[in-house]
Amino acid sequence: MSDKIVSEYTKEKKVGEGTYAVVYLGTKQSTGRKIAIKEIKTSEFKDGLDMSAIREVKYLQEINHINVIELVDIFMAYNNLNLVLEYLPTDLEVVIKDQNILFTPADIKSWMLMTLRGVYHCHRNFILHRDLKPNNLLISPDGQIKVADFGLARAIPAPYDVLTSNVVTRWYRAPELLLGAKHYTSAVDVWSLGIIFAELMLRIPYLPGQNDVDQIDVTFRALGTPTDKDWPGVSKFSTYTQLQTYPPPSRDELRKRFIAASENALDLMSGMLTMNPQKRWTTIQCLQSEYFTELPPPSDPSTIKLNKD
Amino acid sequence: MMATKFESQLSLSRPYLTRLELQEAQNNTVSDVRTYLQRKNVIFGFLSELCVHFQFPRKTLETAMYYYQRYYIFNKFESELCHTVATSCLLLSCKQVETFKKANELCIMSFKLRNMNNYKQDAIESFKKRLFQIELSILETCGFDYRINSRVHIDEYIVKLGKALKLNHDICYLAWIIAYDAIRLNILLIVPQHAIALGILKITCELLGKNDMKNMNNFNEFKTEIDSVNEAYFAIVNYYINAFDNCSLKDNLPTHILPSVNLDSFIELKKNAGNDRGLKELGEQIRKSDKYLTTARDFTQIERRYVLLPQFISDEKTALGEKRFKL
Repeated sequence: MSDKIVSEYTKEKKVGEGTYAVVYLGTKQSTGRKIAIKEIKTSEFKDGLDMSAIREVKYLQEINHINVIELVDIFMAYNNLNLVLEYLPTDLEVVIKDQNILFTPADIKSWMLMTLRGVYHCHRNFILHRDLKPNNLLISPDGQIKVADFGLARAIPAPYDVLTSNVVTRWYRAPELLLGAKHYTSAVDVWSLGIIFAELMLRIPYLPGQNDVDQIDVTFRALGTPTDKDWPGVSKFSTYTQLQTYPPPSRDELRKRFIAASENALDLMSGMLTMNPQKRWTTIQCLQSEYFTELPPPSDPSTIKLNKD
Repeated sequence: MMATKFESQLSLSRPYLTRLELQEAQNNTVSDVRTYLQRKNVIFGFLSELCVHFQFPRKTLETAMYYYQRYYIFNKFESELCHTVATSCLLLSCKQVETFKKANELCIMSFKLRNMNNYKQDAIESFKKRLFQIELSILETCGFDYRINSRVHIDEYIVKLGKALKLNHDICYLAWIIAYDAIRLNILLIVPQHAIALGILKITCELLGKNDMKNMNNFNEFKTEIDSVNEAYFAIVNYYINAFDNCSLKDNLPTHILPSVNLDSFIELKKNAGNDRGLKELGEQIRKSDKYLTTARDFTQIERRYVLLPQFISDEKTALGEKRFKL
């Protein structure tokens, strides 16, 4: 069916520009709802419509969850593809970096809980995000975390699928990716969440490698070089022999690094940052962590103040 | 910046159409069905060659074939443009099923397979531009509906459903060969892939004289129903009856599983099917009044919106007030 109506979306202000899209703020006329419009730059790519745009539409169409950004609509205008997304004014990176914003351990718990719920929903729908970082965790006006940017997402691979390990922004990259694994699982997303959890507690990036080689060193220096004992087969990665061997941190070292963290918080973080992807906690295990049931309870998202007052 | 006011077109995705609905829609786009079908055969051969060259899995080919056939439901068929459309379908299919290949490589091979060996880079560049334009048109004709060709494809369903139905390896292997013929048919546009896979498995069981799927009338467990499975069943049986000489099954028959097969085998299947039929068609009057089928697509409309759920349209109607809508 096909109906004719007055133009539905307005583009009012340009708010950002990435490699493959320009983002505008606008309004959905029929409801007055504020929305964000991602206009895909179709003509500038040597391989046609960018894979990121395809992935974004493909996976967001499938997902409907309070902690995942909503794809409101898709339209073509002047032969450009436009994705209409819900309007989300800020993100976790901005919040972490803004020293004027004070947040509490209960706020961190609330953000982690919402993020884990969103990522769990992706994983139970067989979708890997592959680019989780604070910048991609947007925050709605009512304080809800929304997992966004599915430009690198893909379906959970079949056992024989060969994948690229060149995914996830460097600081949030899991050890199996750093070692060049050609097959990996949803555990790569859980690692990124562990790093984000650490960053929220420290308020600085936890493992900021300068380049890909440095990232390996920074990661293993902080969390210990994996061995065949706790990760059978890890030494078979071709890059393994070039690795510096570091011992894993003791519990006391972790306590000193994360002063405000409770024992349950450290358990959760260590579970998410387990080197062996098969032993790493799943999002279900994370959500069942006692960290979320102990005091303080997670803040009500709508009460978390992000204004500089 | 204030928005420009202009009219907008809102389309609800209908990824599957019945056989008569397809005919109705193609009245606008295909003037000579015979030429269209002849070209389709040539083009599918060309796409298969491209896929063999790049060692793409069957799902890449299947998705490209779906796109090609879907494109010509809503876009005028011009035989000179077929190879360009087909190459564009393959480019998009590669992205859709994560078997990415650079547009340049696809273009060069597309030229070579058509014996256009004395090409210049300029020709490649302009061919690429055309591909990219068509790529977006293909997505528009699919209503940007990524629910189709997104996850599991016919050959994968054969394995999964074969396991679920406890069918033996021989049945599944023969079904997998038959599936290669099935992906060329417009049944891809009519019923979902799991219904096609079930139809293929049913044919295979019957060809091998196995009773595993005999009297199986309830497919709820597999989220489909008997009419869709039968639609696929008859589409494939009819294909073999009409075009057995051109089928791939004849040339790739695993004789250790099925010593021989011929036209009569399929005529026999059809005879034994009795009164079973495929999907029920709506009346002609309803079809003739269905604007989705009868109105040629207006790709010049400035704002063209695509939605997947009827709920979206009814919500918007409510929000806008009926009076601002005009059909």
